[in-house]
Parts: sequence; C-alpha cells; structure tokens
Amino acid sequence: MRNYILRRVVVNIPVIWLVATLVFLATSVLPGDFVAQRIAAQDPTSTDPALRAAQIDAVRKDLGLDKPVVERYVRYLGHLVVGDFGVSYQTREPALKGMRDGLPYSLQLAFMSLFVGLSTALPIGIISAIRQDSMIDYVLRIFAILVLAMPSFWVGTMLLLYTVKGVSFFGLFEIGWTVPLTDPKLLWEDPGSSIRLFVIPAVAGGLASAAGVMRLLRSQMLEVLRQDYIRTAWAKGMRERVVILRHAMKNAMVPVVTVLGLTLAGLLSGNVVFENLFGIPGVGRRILVAIQARDVPVVQAFVLVIATFIVFVNLGIDLLYGVLDPRIRYS
Amino acid sequence: MTQEQAVLERTPDAAVRRSLSDRPVFMRYLVHTGRFFRTKPLGGAGVVIIIACVIAGVFGNQLERYDPETIFKTTNPEFDEALYEKSLTDPLVRLTARPEQLQKGETPILFSGPTGEHWLGTDGLGRDLYSRVIHGAYTALYVGLGAALMATISGIVIGLASAYFAGATDFILQRIMDTLQAFPPLVLLLLFGQVVSSPTMTVNTISLGILGVASSTRIVRSAVLATREEVYVLAARTVGGSDLRIMFRHIFPNITAPIIVTFTSSIGVYILVEATLAFLGLGDPTQVSWGKMIEEGRRNGVADPWMALAVGGALTVTVLGFNLAGDALRDVLDPRLRGRGGRAGF
Repeated sequence: MRNYILRRVVVNIPVIWLVATLVFLATSVLPGDFVAQRIAAQDPTSTDPALRAAQIDAVRKDLGLDKPVVERYVRYLGHLVVGDFGVSYQTREPALKGMRDGLPYSLQLAFMSLFVGLSTALPIGIISAIRQDSMIDYVLRIFAILVLAMPSFWVGTMLLLYTVKGVSFFGLFEIGWTVPLTDPKLLWEDPGSSIRLFVIPAVAGGLASAAGVMRLLRSQMLEVLRQDYIRTAWAKGMRERVVILRHAMKNAMVPVVTVLGLTLAGLLSGNVVFENLFGIPGVGRRILVAIQARDVPVVQAFVLVIATFIVFVNLGIDLLYGVLDPRIRYS
Repeated sequence: MTQEQAVLERTPDAAVRRSLSDRPVFMRYLVHTGRFFRTKPLGGAGVVIIIACVIAGVFGNQLERYDPETIFKTTNPEFDEALYEKSLTDPLVRLTARPEQLQKGETPILFSGPTGEHWLGTDGLGRDLYSRVIHGAYTALYVGLGAALMATISGIVIGLASAYFAGATDFILQRIMDTLQAFPPLVLLLLFGQVVSSPTMTVNTISLGILGVASSTRIVRSAVLATREEVYVLAARTVGGSDLRIMFRHIFPNITAPIIVTFTSSIGVYILVEATLAFLGLGDPTQVSWGKMIEEGRRNGVADPWMALAVGGALTVTVLGFNLAGDALRDVLDPRLRGRGGRAGF
C-alpha cells in the first residue's frame, strides 16, 4: 500500500512538470503584451514611437522579459522548485496572494454547491433505483436528464432574474429578494447577505452536478441490488434501511466517488462562469482577469497550484476506492 | 448453414427472425430502425431532435423567415408631433420631454416578444429572434460535431497506440493525457483562446477537441486492453499481420460500440461548453451563437426574460436530443449494459 502511494506520487511529478511547461509556453507566446498594454494605459497621451519603445524596453528589462525564452524557462523552473511563484505584474504582490484572497469565496461556493448536489442526488438516485420503472422513477429520471441538458449558466441566469423580479405562487405568497451583486460577503462576515448571494449559484451548480451523480448512482444501485449478498441480507431479515444504505449504497458508491472527486476538484478551482455572473471575487474570476490582463506570473501560479491539486485529488479518489471496496487491491 | 443464418437462428425474437430473413438489405435496416424507435421511444425522440437540429443547421437559409442581421423598425409610436413642433422653438421642452417622444421617423423593435410577424420576437437590436435561433444551430452543430470528431479520431489513434504497444509508449502517452486532465477545463480553454488574438469558431472547435482527447483516449485504451488478448488477435499475429493491420483491421472493428456511444454523448457536452464560452464573451464575435444570445437576453432580463428563456430552451432541447440518443445507443450497443432493465436493442 505504501509503495503504491509512493509510486503514484512519483508518477505525478512528470505530470506537474508538463503542466508547468505547458503553462509557460502558453503564456510566453501570448500575443498581447502586458508591458505595451500597461504603458498605453499609464500614459495614453504619449505618441512618440521612439519614446514609447524606450519605455517598453525599460519595463521589459525590469520584469526580466528581455532575456531569451530558454533562460526564462530555466529560471522559472528553478524558482518553482523552491516554491517561488514570482510577483504579479499588476499589483507587485506575490502571485499567489490573489489565490489566497479568492479561495474562501470559491470554497464557500464549492461546499454550498456540493451540499445542494449531494442532498438532491443521493435520495433521488436511491429512490429511483429501488422504485425502478414506477411513475416516480420516470419523473425523477426525466428531471435528471433535463437538468443535465440545461446549461448551468442559463439556469443561474434565470434563477437570478426571477429572484430579483419576485415569483408569485398563485397569488398566495411571493418569493424574491435583492441579490447583493456588488457587495459579496462571506458566510462568517454577514450570513444573511452571503446566503442571498451564494444560494443561486450554489443551486444552479449543485443541480448540474447532481444530475450526473444521480444517473450514475441509479444504474450502479440497480446492478448492486441484483447481487447475491443483497438477497442474503434480505433473507437474514434485515431492515430495509440497513439493506439499502449499508449493503447496497456503499457498494454502489465506487464510481460515484469518481464523479464527486472530479466535481470537487472543478469546484475548488473556482467556477469561472458563476463567479463572473454574480461578481464573486473567487479564484475563477481572478484567473479570468489575470488572463485578460496578461498577468503571466499570476496565471502560471494559479494554474500550476490548481493542476497539482487536481492531480492529488485523483490520487485520493483512487485510494478511496480501496476503502469502499476492499476487493480492489493495489499492486 | 451460412453464418448469417446461424446469427438469425440465435435471435430470440421470432418476429424479428421472420422479418429479417429473405428481405433486401435496406429493408432490414428499416426493420432495425423501426425496432429502435419502438423499444427506445426516448432515444427515438432524441434522434428526431438531432435530425431537426441538423436540418436547421444545414438549411438555415431556407428555413429562416428573415435575414438574421436585418434590423426591424417601426414608426415610433411614442412620437408626439405637437411636442416636437414645440421643441423646435422651446429648449425647455427638449430638456423635459423623453427622447422617444421627440424622435421622428422609425425606431427598431426591441425585445418585442412573440408576434405573428416575429415568431420568437426580436432581440436587443431589433433583429428577428427566430431566424437567429435557426442560425445558431449551425454554430452549435459545427463546434459540437467538429470537436467530437477531432477528439474521437485522435482518441482512437492515441488510445490504440497506447494500449497496443504498452510499455514506455503507454506510459508517456498516458502522462500527457494526465496533464491535459489536470487543467481545469475552462481555464485551459481560456488559455487556448488567448493564444490566438481573436477566437474564431474553428479555433474554439480545435481547443475543445484537444480538451476532449484525454477522455476519449481513456475509453479507447480500456476497450483495446480488453480486446488485445483475444484469440483472434493472437491468430492475426501468428499469420504475420503487421501491427497497423492488427490494430485497424482486427482490434478497431471490435471496439466501435463504446466509440460510437462516447462520440454521440460528447457532442451535447461540446455544444454546452461552446455556449458557455460565448456567454463569457470568448466566442467568435462574428458568429451567431446561442450562448451570446442568452447573455444579451440576460441584460434585458429583469424587464422581460423572454429572450433568455427562448434561446436557452432551444439550447436545452438540442443538448437533450444528443443525450437521449447517446443513452439509447449505449443501451443498444454496449454489451456490458445489455439486458439490464428490460430488453435492450435490436
């Protein structure tokens, strides 16, 4: 087991190196130049091309961009090895500071989405499987396949529009509130305001991942419920709840965990769409801004940290298989 | 007994046996298709949606009611002749009156909502929404099909090579695939999109295709791993078949089922991602795209969400069609899932 983990970690090293190289290449050949953009923004009146060129050269030299690509690449890798991600071109702060600032927002969104997703997917998937081909199964399956086809950004947009407008339920009562789009607060800063803002992206994103998990869980449950050990469990006179949850669900969770892990990894890297749509200053929004501003060190740092994280989440998923299904042996 | 008769003999359904024997080939296809629609009504619905979408994409120019770029105008209903006359002499009127009341001539019909003239209403510039939705089908299909084709074909080549040659080739190729999968998908797309200065439809298709290579390679690879130990592969090698011949004549025909299934179901995903990119403003600015139209509808949404609803509905139905067809194909073609939950397939 220990050897297995060790080997997997070692195999991941070339993957992370490849990620670093790919990001470096992509950001080094970006056509838009941060320096030219920055100088044009600082001093829009200057039109003298010679002066402009001199300014550009000075800033390039300052940022170390005048060196050849190979030298920059070696230097970049050298800095990475000692954990130095460089400084942001824009703010002159360490490149990872933005990530630290944005992470709480992205994490809150991720966990709220995961909560919504799991609390819909698990019961729906199980009910749909144990009541196979009944009316409720059809209704739930149609719900899942519809949600799977709906773009989550569209669901988020529509939810946002109707919460702002207010929805009247047959004139009995009305649901609607002001969404604090310009003033994002974290849960522990201002719970009320935070929930009003985060609940819409959490529901839209959570439902999208729930649909996939539900369909997978249903088909796995159907397979597991036909196994001999389930019949044995019934024959022993166990309560339905124990048979379904302890004997069947635990075994049906193996592929579900894969999807969950991937969802978690995706959510932690920030949700570019929702963070952009709802003005949440999370990791995803910061990446988008950094890419658009050609803030190369920030892009490199963010992508590398996220990719490393995803690689290790995948390793964690593989190890979790063994916990859920002891028949899976590592060699 | 010919091989064909032997297969027929094993077919459990007597009706199919009767209907299949002694019929011309195209009739057999008809019977198969008929059975697909009867046993998989949802999959059949998916196929119908796909066909409708393809027709909209290919024959958009015949189906549209107007040119998608035409701006429809109407004589300004708010125009107030008396007030206008007064404003020519009295500057105070010019300041207090609303600008619409003074605008002589025509104004574009904005967000009209469905009318007999404009079936889905008009958009934020006064263009016919129905014609634009029809045109959006072309973009969605181009990107969806293109990316799926690219991902599948490169997935077949890389996956076959990786599993067949095993060893160092497999290790290196799989690490490259790990790398592609380690990126958050949207971030990788953003990076690709920014490498070229202005993202065109083709560039977006290619980056989506590259993104999909990893997962299609995985699927092909695991299918090949299961197949390469079969006796007929050994037999082919024994009679001296070359690697290429074994890969493409002996292994490949036996792994088409999972490939067709992934191909079909992935198209819907690519269409969704294309719409997401366009929604974020990273799509091809010159193309009519559903994602861009939803973004436009969103901005007008609080006043009247009809446009965002209508376009999102078109997008959802299209993706639904590909998902339903993919699901039904999986039931029919993937033997591992056969016989689960009733009779499946042909």
